[in-house]
Amino acid sequence: MRTRQLLMAILAASILISSSWSQAETTDSEQPFTAPEGLQKLLSSVDDKGAAVIGEEGKAYFEGLPSHAKRLFGEAVANEYIGAATQLRDLLSLELNTSKLEAVLTNNCLLCHSNPAYQDSPTLFSLDPAAVKSPPYMDLKLLLNDVHMRHKLACAGCHGGDPTGNMAHEHPAEWPADHDERVADPKWVPQFCGRCHSDTKLMGQFNPSLPTDQLDKYKSSHHGRALLEGRNPRAAQCVSCHGVHGIQAANSPASSVYSKRIPATCGKCHGDPKVMAGVKVRDGSPIPTDQYEQYKTSVHGKALLERGDVGAPACNDCHGNHAAAPAEVSSVAQICRTCHARNGALFDGSRHKESFEENGWPECERCHGNHAISKTSDAMLETSKGSLCADCHDKYAGEKAATCKATAAHFHDTIVGMAEATVDFKEITLDLAERGLDIEPIDDERRNLDDALKQSRSQIHSFDRSDFDEVAKPGIETMDKMESLVEAAEQDYGQRRNGLLVAAGILALLSLTLWLKIRAMERDQRKS
Amino acid sequence: MSATAPRSGLFGWLDERYGISPLIEFLRHKEVPIGAHPMVWYYLGGMTLFFFVVQIITGVLLLMYYQPGEATSYESIRYIATKVPFGWLIRAIHCWSAHLMIMSLVVHMFSTMLLKAYRPPRELTWLTGFGLFGIALGFGFSGYLLPWNELSYFATAVGTDSVKSVPVIGHWLLLVMRGGEDVSINTLYRFFAGHVVILPLICAGLISVHLLVIQRQGMAPPIHGETARGMPFFPNFALRDLLLWLVCLTTLAMLAVLLPYGPGLPGMEWELGSKANPLAPAYPGIKPEWYFLWIYQLLKEFPAHLLGMEGPEVCLLVVSLLMGVWAVIPWLDRTAQRGRHSPGFTDLGFAVIYFLTFLTLKAADLGVAETPTNDAETAVVATFCAYITLGVAVVATLTRVLVYHHRWFVLSAAALAHIALHGLLGWSYLTVGAVVAVVTAVVLVASGQLRTGAEAGVES
Repeated sequence: MRTRQLLMAILAASILISSSWSQAETTDSEQPFTAPEGLQKLLSSVDDKGAAVIGEEGKAYFEGLPSHAKRLFGEAVANEYIGAATQLRDLLSLELNTSKLEAVLTNNCLLCHSNPAYQDSPTLFSLDPAAVKSPPYMDLKLLLNDVHMRHKLACAGCHGGDPTGNMAHEHPAEWPADHDERVADPKWVPQFCGRCHSDTKLMGQFNPSLPTDQLDKYKSSHHGRALLEGRNPRAAQCVSCHGVHGIQAANSPASSVYSKRIPATCGKCHGDPKVMAGVKVRDGSPIPTDQYEQYKTSVHGKALLERGDVGAPACNDCHGNHAAAPAEVSSVAQICRTCHARNGALFDGSRHKESFEENGWPECERCHGNHAISKTSDAMLETSKGSLCADCHDKYAGEKAATCKATAAHFHDTIVGMAEATVDFKEITLDLAERGLDIEPIDDERRNLDDALKQSRSQIHSFDRSDFDEVAKPGIETMDKMESLVEAAEQDYGQRRNGLLVAAGILALLSLTLWLKIRAMERDQRKS
Repeated sequence: MSATAPRSGLFGWLDERYGISPLIEFLRHKEVPIGAHPMVWYYLGGMTLFFFVVQIITGVLLLMYYQPGEATSYESIRYIATKVPFGWLIRAIHCWSAHLMIMSLVVHMFSTMLLKAYRPPRELTWLTGFGLFGIALGFGFSGYLLPWNELSYFATAVGTDSVKSVPVIGHWLLLVMRGGEDVSINTLYRFFAGHVVILPLICAGLISVHLLVIQRQGMAPPIHGETARGMPFFPNFALRDLLLWLVCLTTLAMLAVLLPYGPGLPGMEWELGSKANPLAPAYPGIKPEWYFLWIYQLLKEFPAHLLGMEGPEVCLLVVSLLMGVWAVIPWLDRTAQRGRHSPGFTDLGFAVIYFLTFLTLKAADLGVAETPTNDAETAVVATFCAYITLGVAVVATLTRVLVYHHRWFVLSAAALAHIALHGLLGWSYLTVGAVVAVVTAVVLVASGQLRTGAEAGVES
């Protein structure tokens, strides 16, 4: 009995405490917010023409905010961190969620640097940096979507200072003190970013799968060596590719280093003769600046940029990214083999391997090119002047040239025969299908022919006639089989048509007889 | 030969037991009226019956190989079309004959309507015929799903979905039709049962009554009873029927061999394509068979909500109302009941033809290369179809005036005004339809034309 009373008492006490707690909470959160005078003034500001600076949408967003967020706005205005109606309009127009809004409204750096009353360009953040003559990286929207901001690494993380306190602060020790010096020679940047990005323990707290060897790789790259050795202050460093404010994770389509955007990002410098001025390639000639334009026309470029196939290689897939370097002759073939493994293996076993090595030719690039790799064509195998195989063999194969060209001609004729048959049979099967004939067996064989054609085209890289013939043989047999199947289908259709003719003839004869019979009968009826 | 004269042999044996002689006598004296209108209209019923018999024969042959089931429906039809000797021909004939049957049925129904053959004492013939029309549409709808291919699957999904808009019992009806919330193999099972058992049974009953009353009463003579002559049904008319059937069979054979998958017109093709995949997204531009296109288009013309109800609900109510009026025309047309011409109902027939023609053409997206994707393309379709319909109407009206001396055009003019205002001026189909309906009703009532149209006027 006593236990029961005790339990009842505890229960009653719990209810009382919880109800008073919830009452307190409710009171706090539901307490109506009254905008202080300063905030009220900004909210109702009008421009020169008498139009409201903050539109209905902005006001509605503000009204929909919880009281504590509204109060933060009020405090920011009272402390003069928000000092202009346009600044308030921009902040409201972002329609941030509550937690992000809290982060922004308690970040004095950000508020002060977006306040046109306190800042001039180029240190003013705005939704339209061009309009206020700030550099493009002073885009407020980009900054708020920055991957570092999302992980709570705000302004002070790089610039130093205390975002909740006094605005006066010193820059980090790694930064050169003078602004112009910082910009003119950014060799301090990789080391500065590497402060965090090379720290395995620190990075593990945010993204354990992210590598931490970027700085080491960078130091070994052509970019890194040129910058850090003081040869070229224009050489790319972290900021050149990743940006400053508004940095995104590499797998985000919005990132400047997302696979589809990499060619344009690299092309920004490598396509600009001014940036590339003075940079030379291995043989001492000036580095070309048409790689991006060439890449756009290539089979890889079209796949990536036009079809959106992110599996297609971009610049970094062949040249590396943080350790970017021009591919060595010896490594070009290995790079291509990462995707085109079978062709590489066939080439390794071919007689071309040795002669390419003797001449110091990069293997794949020799025939297919580099940045402007075009879709391979069966015409490459032709023996006429101007075609790839013929020209090369005429020039280098000496007395073997005739045999080599005969082999190329054999490859060409066999493959073109199969390719043409694939197209022809496709049209034939469509026609047969429209006539209601059974095309299933022909379609099956067509698929076999397709496979044989692909295998044969690849087998060319063995440059061996007997190996090639062995692979091409099923294709040639398939063509014969398809021809007989088409012939049988045509015969079937012929029989159908003949059958129809006979049936229609009999029916017509019957109809005619019947018609004559009716006429004769009705004539007799009329007579009688 | 006298009906009472004793006969020897098998006939005599049968006659003695079953009394066949009176039947022979009846047939001997049965005549088909020859009157003011061409006799061609008398052959359409027989033609429809012929196509129906072809459907039964080819249907039974298909049934020997068709296996309903998730893993067998599509495969067995494919097997029929590719491996079974003459399977392709049987399937092609079955499909062609189905469409031709509905075509001849539609023409038969409209000729009956325009010639007022429904007038007493043939109300039951009209009613059973109307029922048979509904059954034929049911055959088409249920048979369409049986190949279980992509097109039929999604078309059935769209078609059955509209059923849920039937007021009150819509959802229940949807469940009954589909055998569940979605189109599944259960839907196919019940469609199959409907196609080969339920509908044929009902059809057999209705055809029996339809034919029985026709044989008992004879074919309807032209109105005014100006027919003095008659053609013996047997053998003259029966042999002509047979001749027509031979022509139909020849046409059917030629179409089936030369165009085995149909003419490729919207709602008239039956290429097998890919197997149904309920998980695949429905592709745009799916349309039902041509005889459902007008309802499909009418549903599209209705907004999502109207008069406090769902738009499709209102649409189906309107369609049901129109169908109901159509079914009871023999009782509405009191002038024809008295054996006099009723130009108002003749004009109603033409108005209905224009109404259906425009909606069907518009649903087929005539005038643009592919399914319209924006309002501008839809407007192009509406304009193009309006021009065609108006062109047809001009020819029809001239024929009516010059050949048949028709003088009453209020309803067909209203239908054409509706089409012109919508198609040529781009006004909303529904709004302009309502306005034209109200204006027509007011004009008819105010001018006393309702009575005039129904009772007066002279037609030849």
